[in-house]
Amino acid sequence: MTSTINPMRPPAGIPRPYRFPSFTRLQLANGLTVWMVPIAGSTLVNVHLLLDAGAAAEDEPHGGVAALTAQLLVTGTQRLDASAFAEATERLGIEVSSESSWDSARAAFQALPQYLDQGLALLVEMIREPRFDPVEFDRLKAERLAEILQLRAEPGRLADEAFLLHAFAADTPYRRLSAGIPETVEALSREAVVGYHDRHYHPGGSHLVIAGSFDPEAVAASVERHLAAWQGSGPGHRTIVSHAAGSRRVVIVDRPGSVQSEIRLGHLGIDRYDPRYFSAIVMSTVVGGMFGSRLNRRLREELGYTYGARCGFDPRRSAGLFSAAAAVQTEVTAPAIGELVALLEAARAAPFEDRELTDARNYQVGIFPLRFESTGGIAAAIEPIAVYGLADDFWQTYRDGLEAVGAAEAHAAAVELIRPAELIIVAVGDAGAIRNEVEALDIGPVEVVPAPA
Amino acid sequence: MLPNGLRVILSRDDRAPIVAVNLWYDVGSRHEKPGKTGFAHLFEHMMFQGSEHVAKGEHFALVQAAGGTGNASTWLDRTNYFDALPSHELELALWLESDRLASLPPAMTQEKLDNQRDVVKNERRWGVDNQPYGTWDEKLQGLLFPEGHPYHHPVLGSMADLDAASLADVRDFFAAHYAPNNAVLTIAGDFDPPAALAMVERHFGPIKANPLIPPPPSTAIDPIIGAEVREIVPDRVPLPRVYAAYRTPVFGSDGFDALEVVVDLLGSGRASRLYRTLVREQQLAQDVTTFTFPVIGGAAIFAIWATARPGVDHEALEAALWAEIDRLAGEGPTDDELARVRNLHAASVESSLERVSERADRLSMYTCLFDQPERINTEVSRYLAIDAARVRDAMAASLRTDNRVVLTYLPAQSPDGAA
Repeated sequence: MTSTINPMRPPAGIPRPYRFPSFTRLQLANGLTVWMVPIAGSTLVNVHLLLDAGAAAEDEPHGGVAALTAQLLVTGTQRLDASAFAEATERLGIEVSSESSWDSARAAFQALPQYLDQGLALLVEMIREPRFDPVEFDRLKAERLAEILQLRAEPGRLADEAFLLHAFAADTPYRRLSAGIPETVEALSREAVVGYHDRHYHPGGSHLVIAGSFDPEAVAASVERHLAAWQGSGPGHRTIVSHAAGSRRVVIVDRPGSVQSEIRLGHLGIDRYDPRYFSAIVMSTVVGGMFGSRLNRRLREELGYTYGARCGFDPRRSAGLFSAAAAVQTEVTAPAIGELVALLEAARAAPFEDRELTDARNYQVGIFPLRFESTGGIAAAIEPIAVYGLADDFWQTYRDGLEAVGAAEAHAAAVELIRPAELIIVAVGDAGAIRNEVEALDIGPVEVVPAPA
Repeated sequence: MLPNGLRVILSRDDRAPIVAVNLWYDVGSRHEKPGKTGFAHLFEHMMFQGSEHVAKGEHFALVQAAGGTGNASTWLDRTNYFDALPSHELELALWLESDRLASLPPAMTQEKLDNQRDVVKNERRWGVDNQPYGTWDEKLQGLLFPEGHPYHHPVLGSMADLDAASLADVRDFFAAHYAPNNAVLTIAGDFDPPAALAMVERHFGPIKANPLIPPPPSTAIDPIIGAEVREIVPDRVPLPRVYAAYRTPVFGSDGFDALEVVVDLLGSGRASRLYRTLVREQQLAQDVTTFTFPVIGGAAIFAIWATARPGVDHEALEAALWAEIDRLAGEGPTDDELARVRNLHAASVESSLERVSERADRLSMYTCLFDQPERINTEVSRYLAIDAARVRDAMAASLRTDNRVVLTYLPAQSPDGAA
């Protein structure tokens, strides 16, 4: 092998500007907001209907009703049973999805442009005249219960769930999975689903996003034809107030025989409206949001404890969690927890180096267009603007927001948003093998709990 | 093609100011020697540990600091390295890729090898050993392909072989397989073709070809296993799951193309046969998935998995699965069913090719495996050409009881005796 003749990193060329596609909004008389996002060069069209019918709109005794309602919608309409509805949509090359998160419910599809009108007609029929077949209700409820069992068999998912449970206070709904837990899903009836749909699936306050390749006039006519007659509005979501669980402690979820421990640690983070939003992104990118971040560099590239370590925020309408995560081999569980805690403490002890901040900002600014190279990616990007009522120019000014985060802002974010005394540390692993060493770290009380059955 | 044998594919699309750089090396786990399993993948990790002008970890650091992303993966037939960056940073990616191809070995140290061996072992613990059903793919490969066939062993290799890997082994692996004439470089996205080609020549041109690339091990194998193979795997899983896999004609053949249609007829969408019957009508399965392994080493793989609903006997699930496969093989698909999967496929290809990194990867793949980058343009037409007769023929040839591996995961007692 000869050596390359180019020992130096080549200089960058001249950046070509990128702008997030501009869009127009149309307010229908029935309260539905229609967002039209034409994308030059797209060969597809995406349709996302967003409703204020996520888990934040349900009440605790019915936890999971929002998710079950959303999932049941695709099992047919009054006119078309489950088979006929699947065939009618898939014959157009369309797979309709319907799901919910804490903050919204979403029914969506992607299609070749020639099928937009037919697809939209079927989507609206599904939302307005669902079948809610009792047999399908029983089936999907049983599938959801079995799915929870399956998730809990995966140590990483079990750790995610256990972390929610222990990091939020008992009065915070966010402490459970948005799609419900066995105790609440078990109690759901078909009547609860029908009632939930009656209350929350209305055009008032809902959003229809159409992105990609389409003729705006034809789409306006199509929307008028299929959606103008839909009427009504619902009560919307309740106000969730997030509370932290308390002071620093360790919870070991015992999973005997595990060859790795899935570690999660963190505490209450920020909501979607926090003025420190961009500071939080830059700060968490330096600490654990890229390959060369402090957490990954130390735990993976120096110590070989893990395949990867990371951290980040999960902002919602109310405060979600800040969390760090890594799956480490069982023998190094205690030292890995010690390293993670020390790295989080170090992040607030001294300002970040300029180089770290520059790299993190450049990374987030640079991957911005990569996130929006697909039609579906752009349609999804409208969702936070619609659901959280963010400024229309949110994405146009997004990179400015990141660029404005200097050393002082990032350091302040670390000091305010990382709170070592409040860390809830969850490890899913073999308690018999790791408990003594974790206790010897002396970082807080250690409790061992069994994995859920 | 450069004089040193590097095949270069350029695919321009200026919708967004981003560019994908994708390299396929014609070396995967199939090219490993006995006792050296997992080397192709371990080596992929070593490629990020620095070269003459790039420090350990700096590849990711420079790409991400330039506002890009990158990674690599190893599979049966190949190892691929890929970056996606703002288009004005194209040369950075080319420089990084060329530097490690030109000058990796002197930068390798025992310390780096030990570190990455630990990382790889944790990758295995995370993805295989500590995951429910996590051993399925290596078990299927082991049962579908006999001892000695290059697809018999898992891509991640054995812990014992990884433990035995020496620095000399890693250097030998590099010398044998990492050369411009054993690689394809694709650039897709927003770039100026003459300028890009000049960059490629500047950075890759000086790297010498290796005239002695070792021939790949023989992959010759009977098209049919000859008798059904079964294994029951007690595992820490809440629900039984049945995996069925078959040897098939290799990726790129007409027979394989027809089985891609079978994948969709049986398992894509809620109107597919297996979802409709097993999941919805008979309520035997919690989920059903069908897929292929598009590989070229003697035989490829058609596979299915179905997870039993709670309380459902896995034998009943299995029987229903065979009944549906036999029914489709016997009667063939209806015109409506073919229309359904054709439209789904057309939309799915359109959606995949929107992303420049996916387009680059497919161009590298078709060039590396078949020397035919233009196959990317016939993906849809080849699919649309498959009619009911070809579906029936392909199923009759491959989806036979005597060509089937059945792997059944059953809930086992955990080590402490609890269920």
